[in-house]
Amino acid sequence: MRLEKCYFCGGTVYPGHGIMFVRNDSKIFRFCRSKCHTHFKMKHNPRKTKWTKAFRKLAGKEMTVDKTFDFEKKRNRPVKYDRDLVSATIKVMKRLDVIRERRKRAFYKNRMQGVRAREKMMQLKEIDQHIDIIRAPSALLKMKAKILENKNKIQSMETELGPLNPKPIKKSKPTASE
Amino acid sequence: MVLYNFKSIQVVPGSRDFVDVVLSKTQRKTPTEVHKQYHISRIRSFYMRKVKFTQQSYHDKLSQIIQDFPLLDDIHPFYADLVNVLYDKDHYKLALGQLNTARNLIDNIAKDYLRLLKYGDSLYRCKQLKRAALGRMCTLMLKQNSSLAYLEQVRQHLARLPSIDPNTRTLLMCGYPNVGKSSFMNKMTRANVDVQPYAFTTKSLFVGHTDYKYNIWQVIDTPGILDHPLEERNTIEMQSITALAHLHAAVLFLIDISERCGYTIKQQVDLFFSIKALFLNKPLIVVINKIDVRRPEDVPADDWALIQSLTDPAKGGVGGTQILPMSTLTEEGVSKVKDVACTTLLADRIEKKMASSKISKDLHRLRTAQPKPRDEKVRSVFIPESVANARLADPDTLNKNKVTLTPGQMEVLQEEQDDLEYQKGIIPIFDINLWKRKYLLKDDSWKFDIIPEIMDGRNISDFIDPDILERLDELEREEEALIEELRANGGDASDESDLDDENQELLDEIHARKSEIKMDRLLGKTGRPKLTRQHKGLDKDHMERTLTRMGVEEEELGDIMDDVADKSRDRSKSRRPSERSLSRHGRKRDRSESRGVSVEGRGLSLNRSQSRGSSKTPAPVDGEGYRDLPQKEEAVMLGKEGMRKRNKLGYKGEGDHHIPNLMPKHLFAGKRGAGKTGRR
Ligand SMILES: Nc1nc2c(ncn2[C@@H]2O[C@H](COP(=O)(O)OP(=O)(O)OP(=O)(O)O)[C@@H](O)[C@H]2O)c(=O)[nH]1
Ligand SMILES: [Mg+2]
Ligand SMILES: [Zn+2]
Repeated sequence: MRLEKCYFCGGTVYPGHGIMFVRNDSKIFRFCRSKCHTHFKMKHNPRKTKWTKAFRKLAGKEMTVDKTFDFEKKRNRPVKYDRDLVSATIKVMKRLDVIRERRKRAFYKNRMQGVRAREKMMQLKEIDQHIDIIRAPSALLKMKAKILENKNKIQSMETELGPLNPKPIKKSKPTASE
Repeated sequence: MVLYNFKSIQVVPGSRDFVDVVLSKTQRKTPTEVHKQYHISRIRSFYMRKVKFTQQSYHDKLSQIIQDFPLLDDIHPFYADLVNVLYDKDHYKLALGQLNTARNLIDNIAKDYLRLLKYGDSLYRCKQLKRAALGRMCTLMLKQNSSLAYLEQVRQHLARLPSIDPNTRTLLMCGYPNVGKSSFMNKMTRANVDVQPYAFTTKSLFVGHTDYKYNIWQVIDTPGILDHPLEERNTIEMQSITALAHLHAAVLFLIDISERCGYTIKQQVDLFFSIKALFLNKPLIVVINKIDVRRPEDVPADDWALIQSLTDPAKGGVGGTQILPMSTLTEEGVSKVKDVACTTLLADRIEKKMASSKISKDLHRLRTAQPKPRDEKVRSVFIPESVANARLADPDTLNKNKVTLTPGQMEVLQEEQDDLEYQKGIIPIFDINLWKRKYLLKDDSWKFDIIPEIMDGRNISDFIDPDILERLDELEREEEALIEELRANGGDASDESDLDDENQELLDEIHARKSEIKMDRLLGKTGRPKLTRQHKGLDKDHMERTLTRMGVEEEELGDIMDDVADKSRDRSKSRRPSERSLSRHGRKRDRSESRGVSVEGRGLSLNRSQSRGSSKTPAPVDGEGYRDLPQKEEAVMLGKEGMRKRNKLGYKGEGDHHIPNLMPKHLFAGKRGAGKTGRR
């Protein structure tokens, strides 16, 4: 008995679950559920489908190279049963799980670095640019200090993070100055 | 090797068919349309082509016939003679020769008429020339009727001739009629020749094949021959004579010892002597047939002496001949005859071959090698000394190797054990644990372990690796280093905090307003007034609310509201007189005024919408496009005048309301046939 990987989503296929398709060139495709099978039948590319493992790996959303992955390998050379070896292996697997989890977290953290700052910068920019839809010009005059503060903040963040290019903002017509 | 097969000769049509075929072919394969207004060269070439084409097809067909029939000088003399006997050589040659001359004549006719056609000066003349040419060719062909018919008969007969190979191993039967040649042939081969108790049952040559010593032998049955001079022999006999004369074969001369065939032994022996010349240089066997009727012992002594004389050269017989008794009825001696005939022929053929000059070429290629021991020395299998010593010193090593069985071998053992149990009357039950007993593990107590396969969504077997612990150690070291590095970097957790409260509030407000605008847009409220403001009037409450929401303070709000109220009152006053120029003037003033009064910064939407409301196109004036109103009235009147007659008659005019029939019934009803849907 073996746990197989789904051809489409990359999830684990437990014995007795999913479906197996053997193409006439003898390549075997396993699917964890009918959803994946249907996508395959419709010739969808798992690399272009957001929710699959293949997409996430390709898009750099998950770790792809790591030493912890090297331990798990399909071996074609059989090793004779050895109780000590198997119990050691089980222990190692447990430990590996812990390490892998930690590394995953570290990877995620690294990936998310700066995202929050960028978000904040965008929010500040939005406030700066659209304040006039909620405040009359006379009211704006009164909150000049706050606006200036925000402007400075944006400037400093921009130098730090580099110019970020969210949706191109339409320039509002300078009607008031006329 | 030349294979004599005359089956591939094409059918020779009769002269009428011949002409029909050629003329219709000309009609089919050449252009058929010509007009007198064509250029003369075109007309000429049209008819020349016809003449040439007819000549060519005659030529081709005749050549085909001439080529198909075998040339008597080229084929094996046996066949040449046979053709002579059967069809008369002279007749045959004459027929072919006539066809050949016909071919040449036709060529010449065509040549002449082509020359004449070159000077044809009209379509009519050209056509007549063509007619004359084709006519002459055809009459010429019609005259060949007799030779064509003869050749067709020859072709049919030739196709049915047995395909005798004159060069292969052949057995040939000959003798008086009714002596049992065909019976013997039927015994040896599967030819199934007709056998009847009267003379001349067999009227032509027959071929059969038999196997002897893994070779195929050709057996030829001939018609019987009578004993008279060559000139008096008929066609049937002549075939036998031809075969005897030209085929190098083992000749079996059959003698009916019972004289039931109607000819005495004396007559048969005489026949032998009269055709003795044909047996020269051939293996010959005298076969005495029908011994079941009369044993050779019962034959009168003088008759027997006559038979014996056939082998005696002193008495005019042929030396080296054997006399073999046989009965095709009881099959006594048949196989003996076959044996002797084949072996003697084989020996003879080999002898001939050895005598020929070509043999040396083949001989030096043949060689049979037979290894001989070069000395007395024994050359046995070589075993290295070390191996031999090891075997001697420790005979157990061999046994040890034997003890460690492969699983396959053990399975065999298990089967043997099962068999033993069967014999004892116990039915063996397959038990996996019995099988597990045979595992070869480091520790015997592990044999019955339940081996885990899956853990935490992973295959344990994928992780099993003899040096997994070392690798884990390495990984641990790496991990420690990584953590250390992280700690050195100080966590790097200086992530930006969220927006401060004020900003957050503003952002929320912006988002709320944006979604409001979006909803308005969805509902079709573009914010642009449908009515001009001066018509709608001022919604002071709404304006106040908006301004408050936009953060305008109480005091300023009062000012703005006053200002707006002022302006609207002002405008409504100035608007009353309904004088365009005045209103325009008034607005102008308003604008300049409002600019002075209005708040600085961005203008309130009030200002803008006002200016937009003013830009209206002026209403159309009566008499527009004409010089003046009277002129226009006159024009209208004239127009009506012009229409009066039409309207009276009820004609359809371009101004009439018209409802087009987009799906006319007659085009869209009923079944659809072939063709487009638009047409029926
Ligand atoms: N009793 C007896 N009759 C035989 C034997 N061989 C042939 N006959 C008979 O003799 C008759 C003639 O035999 P065929 O084989 O037709 O003789 P044939 O030599 O081919 O005669 P033609 O073809 O006319 O030359 C038949 O009735 C046979 O049954 C034999 O060994 N014993
Ligand atoms: Mg016969
Ligand atoms: Zn799947």
